[in-house]
Amino acid sequence: MTKKLPNFMFTNQFGLFCIVIIFVIIFSSITDGFTSRFNIYALSRVVAIDIMIGLAMMVVILTGGLNLALGAIGVCAAMFGGWCMETMGIPVIPSIFLILGMGSFLGYINGVITVKTGVHSFIVTLATMSIYFGLMTMLTEAEAFRRLPASFTDFGSIKLFNKYVSPLLIISVTACLTLFYLFKFTDIGRKLIAAGANPDAAELSGISVNTMFIYCHMLSGFLGAVAAIMLTTRIGAAIPSMAGQLGMDWLLPAFLAPVIGGTLLSGGKLSVFGTMLGAILVTLITNGLYLIDVGEFWIRFFLGIILLIAVILDKTREHFTLKSVIVS
Amino acid sequence: MTELCLEINRADKAFPGVQALSKANFKLKKGSIHALLGENGAGKSTLIKIITGIHKQDHGDLLINNSARVLNTPNDATLYGISVVHQERNLIRRFSVGENLMLNNLPRNHFGLIDYKEIAIQSKKWLEIMDLNIDPATLVSDLTVAKMQLCEIAKALSLKSKILLLDEPTSSLSPQESENLFLLLKKIVRDEGVSIVFVSHKLEEVFSICDEVTVLRDGKNACTSEKIENLNRKKLVKLMIGRDEQIVRAKSQNSKNKNLVLKLNNVKSEIGHRDINLELHESEIVGLYGLVGAGRTELAKCLIGIEKIVSGDVEINGLKQTIHSPKTALEKFRIGYISEDRKKEGLILIHNVLDNSSITVWSKIKKAFGYVTDGMISMKVTPYIQQLEVKTPSNYQLISNLSGGNQQKISVVKWLAAGTDILIIDEPTVGIDIKTKAYLHKLIIELAETGTSIILISSDMPEMIGLADRILVMKDFKISGEVNNNHNYDKTSAAIMEYIHD
Repeated sequence: MTKKLPNFMFTNQFGLFCIVIIFVIIFSSITDGFTSRFNIYALSRVVAIDIMIGLAMMVVILTGGLNLALGAIGVCAAMFGGWCMETMGIPVIPSIFLILGMGSFLGYINGVITVKTGVHSFIVTLATMSIYFGLMTMLTEAEAFRRLPASFTDFGSIKLFNKYVSPLLIISVTACLTLFYLFKFTDIGRKLIAAGANPDAAELSGISVNTMFIYCHMLSGFLGAVAAIMLTTRIGAAIPSMAGQLGMDWLLPAFLAPVIGGTLLSGGKLSVFGTMLGAILVTLITNGLYLIDVGEFWIRFFLGIILLIAVILDKTREHFTLKSVIVS
Repeated sequence: MTELCLEINRADKAFPGVQALSKANFKLKKGSIHALLGENGAGKSTLIKIITGIHKQDHGDLLINNSARVLNTPNDATLYGISVVHQERNLIRRFSVGENLMLNNLPRNHFGLIDYKEIAIQSKKWLEIMDLNIDPATLVSDLTVAKMQLCEIAKALSLKSKILLLDEPTSSLSPQESENLFLLLKKIVRDEGVSIVFVSHKLEEVFSICDEVTVLRDGKNACTSEKIENLNRKKLVKLMIGRDEQIVRAKSQNSKNKNLVLKLNNVKSEIGHRDINLELHESEIVGLYGLVGAGRTELAKCLIGIEKIVSGDVEINGLKQTIHSPKTALEKFRIGYISEDRKKEGLILIHNVLDNSSITVWSKIKKAFGYVTDGMISMKVTPYIQQLEVKTPSNYQLISNLSGGNQQKISVVKWLAAGTDILIIDEPTVGIDIKTKAYLHKLIIELAETGTSIILISSDMPEMIGLADRILVMKDFKISGEVNNNHNYDKTSAAIMEYIHD
């Protein structure tokens, strides 16, 4: 048994790590307050959610698909949670399980429709995005839930490690480690990847590809619900517009993180830590540009450019990185 | 001597791992119907693709009307007057007959818009040549298959084609329709001065309309432009299949008194199989022989639950069973299927050797909470990878970097590791070098000897006769006959050919 460890210097993640460091150096030298305790704490709260959103998209990209309904699922889960806690008076811990269940259920619906109809998940989730968000708006009459239990909202403002880090970041890092374990060290994780890489071959090798795809969509909904809980504790309320119209504010960071991170758009290869680094990079750039005071529109402009570059890299990446790494 | 309108001299063409053509010659006389024959994989399609500009020969010349030409694209071939009438129809089904015929040169009116009257007038002319009495405004999708084919020929004629390639033109026609087609072919050769290259597996058709015959075998000419008068059916069959190559042979065994592991009783499938009866005993190799499209791969897919069986019984070890999916086939009944299309269905090209060879065993070797590591997997599959002498720098090498032969070995490894009782092996040696081929043959025999029951699907006659205990011949999604294989090449192949060509 000869096991050759890939030289980490040639991995996509190492390259990303270097870019992150470069941006940290640039922003801390040209802006005031980039390394301040306040800013780092604020960054950790934002990046935690971006990582979670990125992971939620990553697990569907793994199948070669997309989840445009991710933001809508997140908002629906958050609003459902608000209703549970505020209107129904359900305690925090059971409510959290209900929220996660709601996210998984909405993801499950996406998965089942995609698999049963054979329509690309782009169209399916475009439709469900609108359906979920529309239903949610009707049921809640677009009223926010602002009187959530204090024990729930306080969590979002806890400060750890000499008040530098939000506990939300710890949840996100734990999610990364768990997903890495799932994909690297379990049979189900390997099957999810194989199904995404070549559905025909996986099916003929005795893997139930449809089930795997449904799992991926469920996992996406679950992670989206986690992100929604984190966002709710951060802003202290469940608001219909918390992720923009139809939840679309989530889509750009959701795609940026995995695509920059090295998850193959055609499916079958993913990078959990790359997604984490990708989310960090996106948050850094956004935050740094805010501090330079370039204005909201320029930030969107730059993020769009970065997504395009990342997609082009996705096509050429194969030539200059180690191809044999399937999970990282 | 009659003039040649198409000539190929000493053409070589290699694909990775296989020499498809070596020094192949082909000479087509003006105004003749020329049969191009050979087994599957003999190089016919490669030669046709060279003539039609899809592939370019590595060496050798191509002459059209006695001047050397280079065909870079199919469009070049059309410009020099070469048209193919494919097995798959090339017409746009939702367009009218007239539009299809005139598609490359649509007439315009004064405003630059399409002139439908003119389309009708011009296309009518070509339809009349083909004795087609149909309105040019008819939608192609409303025509019968036979008429579509005639339209396609009419289209080729409208492109001023002087050389027509017909690839299995009668495969979906009734005898009456075929007869009609032949009359028309003879007529256009006489009246329009075209020459025809005719590819068919039906030898009686060759004798009824062709003037000359070229046979390819293993990429070489078994005969070149032989006059049809000098041939008979027996000679032709011998030219097509007779070879000296000594191949691996299984020992003859009598399986009839061993356990019956799989039995199909009057199975009918959703995709068109009818009256399929098949018995597979322990340690037996049953061959399924037939032409491409006879329904062999599709039958395999019925057995592993990809395609639906609508009536009839499947018995495994004497019990009636239903197989819903490859997952049940593998996990419950220990049936595996090695696909003929290893790049699309057999392997995951973007993954490495280790993952590809272990995909069938993950569920089996997992510990609590689904825990599986590369190390555990490696322990399980490395013995097989070594046993099959797979040449790879490491288990972490990407599968797409391996040679075809080694890739094929990996798609076998994954089923060896899975430890199946019944293995369906589909075209195991297509595009594989001679050494690996012999190795895989030996392996298949060893597998059978150690208790695995095998269904072998192959279009390679020597391979089939070398390995199988019994051979079922399939035709049109039915089993047309059974041959008890005594490994005597001449007798068995003649018996198989009888079932195929009648």
